[in-house]
Amino acid sequence: MISNSLKTIFKREVKGYFSTPLGYVFIIIFLFSIGYVTFEPGRGSFFITRSADLSSFFKYIPWLFIFLVPAMAMRLWAEERRTGTIELLLTLPVSIREAVLAKFFAAWFVILLSLLGTFPMLLTVAYLGNPDWGVIFLGYLGSFLLGGAFLAIGSFFSALTKNQVISFILTVGTCYILTMAGSPPILEFLSAVFPKYVVSLFESLSMLNHFDSLSKGLLRFSDIWFYAVMMFGWLVGCGLLLKENKAN
Amino acid sequence: MEKKKRENYLIVLLAGLIMIFLIYIGSTWGNKLKWDFTEENLYRLSSGSINVVKKLNSPLRIKLYYSKTAANKGTEGIRAFNNYFTYVKDLLLEYVGHSRNNLTLEIIDPRPDTGDEENAITYGIRKFNLSETESYFFGMVVENDVGTEKIIEFFDPGEKDKLEYAITKTIYSVARPAKKKIGILSSLPLQSDLNPYLAQMMRMQGKNPPESWAITELLSEFYQIEKIDPMAQEIKGIDVLLVVHPKNFTEKIKWAIDQYVLGGGNLLLLVDPMAVIDRPVNPSAGFSRSSNLPVLMENWGVKLEEGVFVGDKSLAGLGRVTPEAPPAKMLQIVSCDERCTSPYKDITTTGLYDLVFLLPGSLKILDKKAVPILGTTEIGNTFSASEFELNDPIALWHKFSGGEGRVMGVKIMGMFSSAFPKGITVETKKLTGLTRSKREASIIVIADVDFIHHQFAFKETLFGLALANDNANLFLNSVENLSGSTDLLSIRSKGVKKRKFNVIDEIELEADKETAETVTRINASISEAQTELDKLGAQVNEGNLAVIKSQALNKKRELDKRLAFYKGQLREVKRQGREKIENIGRFFQYLNTLLIPLLLIMGGLIYNTIRSRRNAREV
Repeated sequence: MISNSLKTIFKREVKGYFSTPLGYVFIIIFLFSIGYVTFEPGRGSFFITRSADLSSFFKYIPWLFIFLVPAMAMRLWAEERRTGTIELLLTLPVSIREAVLAKFFAAWFVILLSLLGTFPMLLTVAYLGNPDWGVIFLGYLGSFLLGGAFLAIGSFFSALTKNQVISFILTVGTCYILTMAGSPPILEFLSAVFPKYVVSLFESLSMLNHFDSLSKGLLRFSDIWFYAVMMFGWLVGCGLLLKENKAN
Repeated sequence: MEKKKRENYLIVLLAGLIMIFLIYIGSTWGNKLKWDFTEENLYRLSSGSINVVKKLNSPLRIKLYYSKTAANKGTEGIRAFNNYFTYVKDLLLEYVGHSRNNLTLEIIDPRPDTGDEENAITYGIRKFNLSETESYFFGMVVENDVGTEKIIEFFDPGEKDKLEYAITKTIYSVARPAKKKIGILSSLPLQSDLNPYLAQMMRMQGKNPPESWAITELLSEFYQIEKIDPMAQEIKGIDVLLVVHPKNFTEKIKWAIDQYVLGGGNLLLLVDPMAVIDRPVNPSAGFSRSSNLPVLMENWGVKLEEGVFVGDKSLAGLGRVTPEAPPAKMLQIVSCDERCTSPYKDITTTGLYDLVFLLPGSLKILDKKAVPILGTTEIGNTFSASEFELNDPIALWHKFSGGEGRVMGVKIMGMFSSAFPKGITVETKKLTGLTRSKREASIIVIADVDFIHHQFAFKETLFGLALANDNANLFLNSVENLSGSTDLLSIRSKGVKKRKFNVIDEIELEADKETAETVTRINASISEAQTELDKLGAQVNEGNLAVIKSQALNKKRELDKRLAFYKGQLREVKRQGREKIENIGRFFQYLNTLLIPLLLIMGGLIYNTIRSRRNAREV
């Protein structure tokens, strides 16, 4: 059951996003950027490929999320620590677990709203042709899960440092490495240093490989498991860091 | 305190390691649990493939060669190959899973100067040099215990749609390695009876010996070929029967074909309302170029519409009636692209985007056992024309009206009843046989014969005959498909449906139509002016030369003016079409880039204004 305190913090956080320009700025930048890159006049542009699917839309999502999600996540805890409100929050009758989850879910909800804001893309493909809705649905699911995983990483680094800029840089760096984990140049670099099983272990951490398979219409248990473990693991880490702060 | 802090960081590190371990376990073991959300079931094995591997009764080994280490040293672009390797590997694991332990899969990463690399080269797996030291392999070998081996020399990501068929066929051909026998029954000289020695003698004497068709020569490279006597009473001992242009067939041979199909024999039938290549040695008045097997075909569930041809303005090919005439779009030539094959997703025709048919026939489907594999676009229709009318492509073009699409090829699979249930009587002798199918049979019917003739399927090059288009591939695909089992035949192509922008295509088609009309008007103007000029030329004599010359110049000037006007119209039509498309593109770009952000800004402003007013009131 979802506790009342979790619900309360969640509502407060969501309200916080929209009573300041933060939520709007995030959604507007995301929608504008994704719209622009999808229709940009390049070789893979949506209107040039003339294919009634959203592949030219989904392929940019990870790259936009790498910068946008850390920007949203950096304030999750670092801001509370900087302003000192974290002490107040942690003295309330709220467990750290609830606080971490509530903040995470609120930010994830904003990501969901941003993805829902791309609904004109659905109208566009439906008008122009006959899209495969199953593939599109999984593409959105993959984007939502990817956003969640990046956010969990962001939560962790936000709890690690008071400085939002450092938190942002660390999150972007980690998200980038995890996105590129399946990339041949990185694997080549690793294979020169580490044995084969370490390389394949690292390859299994590739965000992009798991996202690719979802955006192509294949729902594998391993992909869902990957994102679930990613979110769970980084959020547990975030909770432990906060516990450590509380003890201090 | 310090100790506690260290403990907490240790816990975080431990949690990280557990997380990585859990992800690795999930990625390795959780791959088998999957759900395919694609409309085309791209990630699931079809029942045909499952049946082929289930029926294996001896162990086969699959060796998948993929140079993973070398690929990792390549560029970012090679990621597509890494992803495709995962797709191929997952598909092969599905085969292994369905094989009742008769298939094993070994994945090999051949490194330079190793036994694995040597083996890959010996098997014939294609080698690509990535650098001076690194080579790249991505192929497969299937072998059995008695030394039969078949390979897929390279897995091309561009041929993903045919991947399942290629793998199943390779496994099937290792399980049943004998060379297939094809029987040819035709009223055309597809196969020369002449002894090669005699043919050589005739050539030395400066005569032209009758030669087999190029397509038959090509077929003989892959199959054992046997000529079927048109007077035969029984057809047996072959894997596929090829009936080409069945003209004036006797009841006896029709009966033999009927019995052959009822016995489970597979058949490729080419019929034609007018086979242009069927040229009589001694032309006579009553000579017919059409072929049909109405009784048998109707019994199998398909009918060739008599006396009509298939035409499609959007597929009309360029041609000329006489060598002097300028090339023009002709209804008589159906020049097929992916629109003729892709909608049917059949492995026989998938990927064939350049097919040329000459006056093909229309097939009417009478039974649901028959499924179309080749057809026109939705504006294709039938037309009838006399030989005289066929020589006037412009008149034919104007006379033709579009329809709802026509079928030119079908595949029929199933059990049949005899077309001669009471048997037949041959020279007072009563012949009786099977009245119902013993086994399931497969039939492919294509309503054209000309397409396999070398005039339409091959071209002369410096190095001899080469394929001119996909015509020979259509023929070979059909034979290959029929020479496999029905399970192999039932595998549908997994082509990712090209999801086109229908709205844009319609606009382009409309613009094309208008353009074609203007072009026709221009051509008509030119020929009209030319006729007038010719008439004037005929009236010339010494007395009126100057007058006629000035009249001709005036006419020419008038024609130039008219042409300039029409060309302007043509440009305008094209510009309007292009502009319409660009406007749609721009509209959707603005809709997707600006609409929601603008609405959000407005919504945010309103919400915050209301909120601050309420707060001010409360204060």
